[in-house]
Amino acid sequence: MKGAASSLDRLVEGLLSVGVVLAGLLLLAGLLRHDPAVLRAGLLLLMFTPVSRVVVVTVALFAQRDWAFGLMSLWILLVLLSSLRVAHFI
Amino acid sequence: MFVTSTWVFVLIGAGTGLVGALLGLGGGIFLVPLLTVGLGLPIRQAITASLISVIATASASATVNLNRGLVNLRLGLLLEMATAVGGLGGALLSHLLTQRQLFLTFAATMALMSTAMLVRSKRRNVIDDVGQDPGRLGGRIEEEGRPYVYHLRRGPVALLSSLFAGAISGLLGLGGGIVKVPVLSTFCGIPIKVAAGTSTFMIGVTAATSAFVNYSRGDLNPELTAAVCLGALPASLLGARLSQKVQARSLKLLMVVVLLAVGLRMALEGR
Repeated sequence: MKGAASSLDRLVEGLLSVGVVLAGLLLLAGLLRHDPAVLRAGLLLLMFTPVSRVVVVTVALFAQRDWAFGLMSLWILLVLLSSLRVAHFI
Repeated sequence: MFVTSTWVFVLIGAGTGLVGALLGLGGGIFLVPLLTVGLGLPIRQAITASLISVIATASASATVNLNRGLVNLRLGLLLEMATAVGGLGGALLSHLLTQRQLFLTFAATMALMSTAMLVRSKRRNVIDDVGQDPGRLGGRIEEEGRPYVYHLRRGPVALLSSLFAGAISGLLGLGGGIVKVPVLSTFCGIPIKVAAGTSTFMIGVTAATSAFVNYSRGDLNPELTAAVCLGALPASLLGARLSQKVQARSLKLLMVVVLLAVGLRMALEGR
């Protein structure tokens, strides 16, 4: 159980790192070149990083058959999706 | 190259990101007043920039905290659920309180929390007996090379405060760490570094929920937001690393100072 949890920690860590580094590079490029399209791409990537984190944790918990915490994570994902719906992203 | 104002925003982002990551906050609580009162920006632009910068700070410092085992994932999920409900509820119930009542409630909460935190700052949340079972919501932590165990205490208090944190974060454009970290470490038996680490894991999601809505409403100033985030990203990595080297008690005292300063500002605003 403990090993599984810590491998999930590592997975989330990797995911967040990729999101943060890519977004940071896009923001830097966008600011240097005064390119609003690149800036928006960087900001959107940053905003979707937590969403992808919730998706990964939900799937991983269900895969581990951790139903109680999987359902909690699913609930959080549904709230995020409803916010995306309200904001007309989906 | 960058124009001067861009550098100012990068520096502001770096400052709020550093302090935010040290204490497990997103930094929105400092950023919104700095941008509005300090630089005279419109409140909606400031709130949207703050929400996205909270995501940046939280995601960057969460990578460090996950790596050091300072994120209690299960506890985070449980509380995040309450925060999400609070966020929805806060948006629906916000018309019941006037702006003034909201600020005064907030100021009173901060004052109460800083007092409790100061009084209890010498208490330790960690248990020496490593043979004890931490339970599903507790955990293990290493401090100065020694292993310890901690338990979640007063679960309902943790849930209620998360509900409240969600509600105010939707209303004021914050992540809500300013409520969760002090409550978890003062009343719920969670060591402050774990409380801060778990908070960084949670508040990115809280801020994202509101950020999408603000983004689509057209409240985004891309240059400003990008500059603030660009400062916040490296500074929060540094802040999260630095918090490992600082003693738990010093972090608690820093939190007391932040709570008092924020409470005072809210009280002035609600005058």
